[in-house]
Amino acid sequence: MRGPTIIKAEDDKTRQLNKNTLMAFSGEAGDTVQFAEFIQANVQLYSMRNDTELSPAAVANFVRGELARSLRSRSPYTVNLLLGGMDPTTEQPHLYWIDYLASLAPVPYAAHGYAQYYCLSLLDKHHNPNIDLEQGMKLLGMCTDELKRRLPIDYKGVLVKIITKDGVKEVDFDNDKIVRSA
Amino acid sequence: MDKIVAQYSRPSHQNEFYSEQEQQDLTETLPPLSLKFALPPVANPSAFLRAMTDDHSNPSCPIKLAHGTTTLAFRFQGGIIVCTDSRATAGNWIASQTVKKVIPVSRLSRGEDKPSNEPTPGLLGTMAGGAADCQYWLRYLSQQCTLHEIRHKRRITVAAASKILANLTYSYKGYGLSMGTMLAGVRTTASFLPSNQVGLELTSTAFIGNPQEGPALYYIDSDGTRLPGNLFCVGSGQTFAYGVLDANYRYDLTEEEALALGRRAILAAMHRDAYSGGFINLYHVKEEGWVHHGFDDMNPIFWKTKLESGEFSNVTSEL
Amino acid sequence: MGSPFDINGGACVAMVGKDCVAIACDLRLGMQALTISNNFPKIFNYAPSTYLGLTGLATDVNTVSDLFRYKVNMYRLREERHISPRPWPTCPVLAGINQTTGKPFICGFDSIGCIDFAKDFIVSGTASDQLFGTCEGLWEPDLGPEDLFETISQALLSAVDRDALSGWGAQVYIIEKDKVTQRLLKGRQD
Repeated sequence: MRGPTIIKAEDDKTRQLNKNTLMAFSGEAGDTVQFAEFIQANVQLYSMRNDTELSPAAVANFVRGELARSLRSRSPYTVNLLLGGMDPTTEQPHLYWIDYLASLAPVPYAAHGYAQYYCLSLLDKHHNPNIDLEQGMKLLGMCTDELKRRLPIDYKGVLVKIITKDGVKEVDFDNDKIVRSA
Repeated sequence: MDKIVAQYSRPSHQNEFYSEQEQQDLTETLPPLSLKFALPPVANPSAFLRAMTDDHSNPSCPIKLAHGTTTLAFRFQGGIIVCTDSRATAGNWIASQTVKKVIPVSRLSRGEDKPSNEPTPGLLGTMAGGAADCQYWLRYLSQQCTLHEIRHKRRITVAAASKILANLTYSYKGYGLSMGTMLAGVRTTASFLPSNQVGLELTSTAFIGNPQEGPALYYIDSDGTRLPGNLFCVGSGQTFAYGVLDANYRYDLTEEEALALGRRAILAAMHRDAYSGGFINLYHVKEEGWVHHGFDDMNPIFWKTKLESGEFSNVTSEL
Repeated sequence: MGSPFDINGGACVAMVGKDCVAIACDLRLGMQALTISNNFPKIFNYAPSTYLGLTGLATDVNTVSDLFRYKVNMYRLREERHISPRPWPTCPVLAGINQTTGKPFICGFDSIGCIDFAKDFIVSGTASDQLFGTCEGLWEPDLGPEDLFETISQALLSAVDRDALSGWGAQVYIIEKDKVTQRLLKGRQD
């Protein structure tokens, strides 16, 4: 968005940090990509130097530390982050919610911005840690349907990426579905 | 000085939007609003009120109004479900957990909550925003509806009742009223008492003389908005209730499903919204009147929902 | 909005008993009215029987707890012994038992470091006004571990039930000379 114009409808607002950690970001234009790519470079640098992948928990705490440091600086980054990853040793999935104040919380599902006001209650009802990919995608569909129904703006669809123990892959998602409200 | 004198000498609602003829017609049906509120002796009372009460722009304002709420109502094939939370907050302080935010409107004997399962005829109004405003004006509406009933020997339509309230909030627009309310009721031919008299009704044209209004739901707020609809959620927790409700709502829900959905949507909002909570107050409005389906503490319902159906996986139940 | 202490919410309380102390916190992490997480403990362990409860802005709860872990670990490596509870500027609520003297110890701080040594209880967080009331009413001297647990639990739960920004469950630690019991309280989820 720039003034009243959508500059690009299909911007990728995620960065892959290492083999099995992905970070999605939103917030102040400019800050977001700068911060995400700074983190991406440093996490990759760590992997090269030490010949090992950082776990999602380690990455999350590193990200939080950097964001907290910037918060007390002259020009803080205003970025909200969701950080998801598979722990390479335990093969357990992890998700972290980080806001622009650098509060960090491990959560089973999360959102940022207006989406959290509409989707968290839906996820409270329908989420279960044991659901498979198909059910998960269906649940994501319920969330995007609700956003289409109630948000006063058209957010031009979503980009969906899936993190498994084999890495990160993008999947197709039907963004053209028309949703009517009751 | 002249300004102040003008303020006090002017009856609150003359010349606002009715012609003289209309005024006369109105006064035949409705008594004049004898609502001489004392206004603060300042040049601009509404700005003064805002300065004193708006904790959004001024967190240290001296008067903290009760604002947080979740209320919902939806139409389905079996009538209308009305469900609310029961929390009243003043700032972050929880002032009460047992507020009754569903207010029965329009009945000669105002239908108070009673233990029997017999439906009570009349409308239901919900309360969101300033608690005092809602209680006061719904009571006023109740009075008008009862008078309508006595004059016309038939119950008022929801359309007409909602229009009275909307006209009223509109006439006070800018004076700092704060309310978001829903009116729910079902009117059928049965609501007509023997009568040959047709009185002037303050209805929207679509509903004038409509004997089969059926289940009707209106949203009215302090901006003067008045909207008919199938499904509304009002209050600080509205988005959470919409989330659950939209995903599972169908017009052809059974009565049992509809009651469960209303309860679950309020539960969702109570859980996520800090300013909603307490007890789930559930009503079903059907043809014969409204039925109260409990004023139940959310806590046991929450843990039952979590442990039995595996929902709320974000909440830890063991170390 | 406004005060950074009211953004995320949270409450913490510590109490002294007979040869034991208790410290308890709620589990909420919020963003104003919105509850983000119900699993955000605010008590951190730095050595056997030394516990620190932090309330306020969540980012600083994270920062201070991390910084403390670092400093305490460095202390342990340097001194080759565990740190024992004694006042240390920056922490809001501290509770523990001095390993050498066996004496229960609690203290609280304000955000700029003014220390409050108390013989009875310390409260902090968005529900602190309510906690002062409940603690004042329920606490009595020389409570045993079980009675202290009951007292601190009731005091915390009753207090957060009257605060919109804290609650959603609680954690309690009962610290005795050579035993620490951790318990989870199922609080109201609204």
